[in-house]
Amino acid sequence: MSYVFYPGCSLEGTARDFGQSTMAVAKALGLELPELPDWTCCGSTAAHQTDPLLALALPAKNLAAAGGKTVAVCCAACYSRLKTANHEISASPDVRRRVAEVTGIDYDGRTPVLHLLEILAKDIGLAKIAAHVTRPLKGLRVVSYYGCLLSRPPEITNFDNAENPMLMDNVMKAAGAEAIDWPHKTECCGASYSITDVSIVLALTREILSMARAAGADCIVTACPLCQINLDMRQKDVAKKFGEEYNLPVFYFTQLLGLALGLEPASLGLRSLVVDPMPLLAAKDF
Amino acid sequence: MSTMRETRLANEAADFVALVEAESGAPLAACLQCAKCTAGCPVSARADIKPHVLVRLVQMGQRDEVLSSRMIWECTSCQTCTTRCPQKVDIAALTDALRRLSRAAGKVVGGTTVPTFNDIFLRTIRRLGRMYEMGLMTSFKLRTGNLMADVDKFPMMLAKRKLALLPPHVRGAAERKRLFERARRASERAEALAKAGGEKK
Repeated sequence: MSYVFYPGCSLEGTARDFGQSTMAVAKALGLELPELPDWTCCGSTAAHQTDPLLALALPAKNLAAAGGKTVAVCCAACYSRLKTANHEISASPDVRRRVAEVTGIDYDGRTPVLHLLEILAKDIGLAKIAAHVTRPLKGLRVVSYYGCLLSRPPEITNFDNAENPMLMDNVMKAAGAEAIDWPHKTECCGASYSITDVSIVLALTREILSMARAAGADCIVTACPLCQINLDMRQKDVAKKFGEEYNLPVFYFTQLLGLALGLEPASLGLRSLVVDPMPLLAAKDF
Repeated sequence: MSTMRETRLANEAADFVALVEAESGAPLAACLQCAKCTAGCPVSARADIKPHVLVRLVQMGQRDEVLSSRMIWECTSCQTCTTRCPQKVDIAALTDALRRLSRAAGKVVGGTTVPTFNDIFLRTIRRLGRMYEMGLMTSFKLRTGNLMADVDKFPMMLAKRKLALLPPHVRGAAERKRLFERARRASERAEALAKAGGEKK
């Protein structure tokens, strides 16, 4: 299958390491991800809370530019907005017309959109990934944290089971890690309230961190830039507010998979993580 | 006299229900008040109006109460309510609609910075095409006056290369500006139509 990559804004900023590790893993697996030229922001939450038409027009403009190729996405928020636009535009000729009046392009809502986890688990396949693993993550106990927008609502994303997704767990197993079952896979981290009302994020990330520890995890693995930064960067603030030190490394799945594929830590952006993962990796001999 | 007043209030309530249904596409009458939305909501414990109560209040036409609620600015848009509703009431879309109506009616509850954040976010992507986190944070701090929040994070984020120093450059600035302008005009037209439709009923 032929893809075109929509990085999304975070991968050029706070989640630069997600972008870097995605490119490294793709190269190692022979997956070509050429970037969509002149892509623009999907509008994210700000657009859908403010202007429903703009919230469809911004993704539509990008999807129309993909030239019929499958759009590959890493950020869960971008994924949600692109999929929502496809869902609404393809379901209603009236919506399609109104979006076209804004973008100047009659887009039919049918450009396929896949998250990198879907590409890895379904298109490339777990067997092929396992065959590329040279340094299996043996003995590493991970909890996979999917957050909200990959699996919800399932009628729109069609990603995996909405309450108990397994795609990331399965990729981690293929990388040799021990994927622990836990109940907080799709709980919310508070997203952009990290900026507008951090008390929401501290309360929610504390719940997730506490459950990860109770499940016996060595680390958390994520697939969304906002989830990652909230769970990673806010651990210090959670410690200050609640007196609970977690010190749990929070990886992108591409970083752990990259290690399993034998890639150098420097090529995976591990230094960008706030909670230093090196002691854990050293203890596990990776 | 009192009958006339009651009739007027009943009409206003019905207009509001029709307006919210049109804006959100959520079939409000289908709600059974099972409260599954509230049970799964990550912020329901702190909410002034819990999700299932929000739906009920809209059904009852309690316009001012819902539009000035704090809840609509604390909802994280996590979509759990929408996903789990057995009656397919899209509560997340309802909340989005209430946010827009709240702003349009000047009813936004004091203390929330979410509308300011959203405005700066959209202005940034209109101008640059993509997010510029340094610019967004600077504008947001200046507008909200909360200059010291998270300042300790900046050196760390810079050292860990989590912040791009320079704004992005994406071609097509003029076309982008026109797209935003056309969206704004279309939304204004739709809003006027929805209001007129509500008043006719």
